[in-house]
Amino acid sequence: MDPVTIDTTKIKTVKKKPVTALEKLEDTGLISTVLAAREREGLILFSTVDQIFNWARLSSLWPVTSGLACCAIEMMAVAMAHHDIARFGMEIFRASPRQADLMFVAGTVTKRMAPRVKQLYEMMPEPKWVIAVGSCASTGGPYHESYAVLKGVDLIIPVDVYIPGCPPRPEAWLYGVIQLREKIKNEGYGAKWGLNK
Amino acid sequence: MNPAEELKQKLPAAVVSTGMQLNKPMAVIKKEELLNAAKKVKEMGFDHLSVITGTDYNDHFEVVYNFFSYEKKQNLVLKVITDHDNPEVDSLTSLWKGADWLERETYDLVGIKFTGHPNLIRILLPDGWVGHPLRKDYDMNTEQFVTMGEGGEDVVSTDGGNLLRRK
Repeated sequence: MDPVTIDTTKIKTVKKKPVTALEKLEDTGLISTVLAAREREGLILFSTVDQIFNWARLSSLWPVTSGLACCAIEMMAVAMAHHDIARFGMEIFRASPRQADLMFVAGTVTKRMAPRVKQLYEMMPEPKWVIAVGSCASTGGPYHESYAVLKGVDLIIPVDVYIPGCPPRPEAWLYGVIQLREKIKNEGYGAKWGLNK
Repeated sequence: MNPAEELKQKLPAAVVSTGMQLNKPMAVIKKEELLNAAKKVKEMGFDHLSVITGTDYNDHFEVVYNFFSYEKKQNLVLKVITDHDNPEVDSLTSLWKGADWLERETYDLVGIKFTGHPNLIRILLPDGWVGHPLRKDYDMNTEQFVTMGEGGEDVVSTDGGNLLRRK
């Protein structure tokens, strides 16, 4: 029986592994103007300040530690090892809103809690983003007819991403986080000039 | 003999009727005789007052007391019927300490006054809330908002101007 021979020249490499720092940066897909620098053999990097800032901001979003109801239990599941929110550089749930730039509104916003949630949001430094998690924080959910529950947290603070579910599964939660990263990537002048593509 | 019948035998003047409610022995008590009946219930070994609720029937209120005996593993339900205009029953805080918060909750949501309660104020809703939400005639159309005062205290208002982003 003839031994099986493999013609290695016919095998296509799917993707070249990034070696240099510039190639790694290009591989993230965040900085689009690397091409211009490549022609100068990696000596110059053209970009906008916005793009660099956006890249830094979305790579280490720090959420504030606040949970209002059962969605907060899912937040713990997202933060734990199985779903591991640390992949997005956001495993540090800050205990102070002064050090956070993302707020998960995880749960039912009651009338009595609403001014506290608003104060927490106002204490966070700019730039800041809000994700409304679950049907309660989005619309009031099953308590929409209640006298004691706010009909959506977007009545009091601006919301960037809504994650539906009651409560949403951790996979949905991660999808919402990725949507927020996309949103941050497309902020500022770099996106206005089409440099984020 | 179930504890409701036993109570009727001991205090025939206080018990209006007996029966079953959700497989628990139930006795309807005269409003004036509630404290006497409760004392007797405690002597019978019901050491735990688990729930107090109030129910609005449009023309009258029912106050329902759920007792449990850890020793005999028995349940007992007492009901008191009050008029709708001025619902007022005696407080059981002198007999069961746990009645304190249960009666405050019933006062908060149904608006039943417990005479002899040491601290009858709202427990869940903030002070200044208008109406008792579990009553049938509660106004669901006017929305009430809570804002924070300078000292962090709750301020109830109907406009919510400095809370909402747009009116």
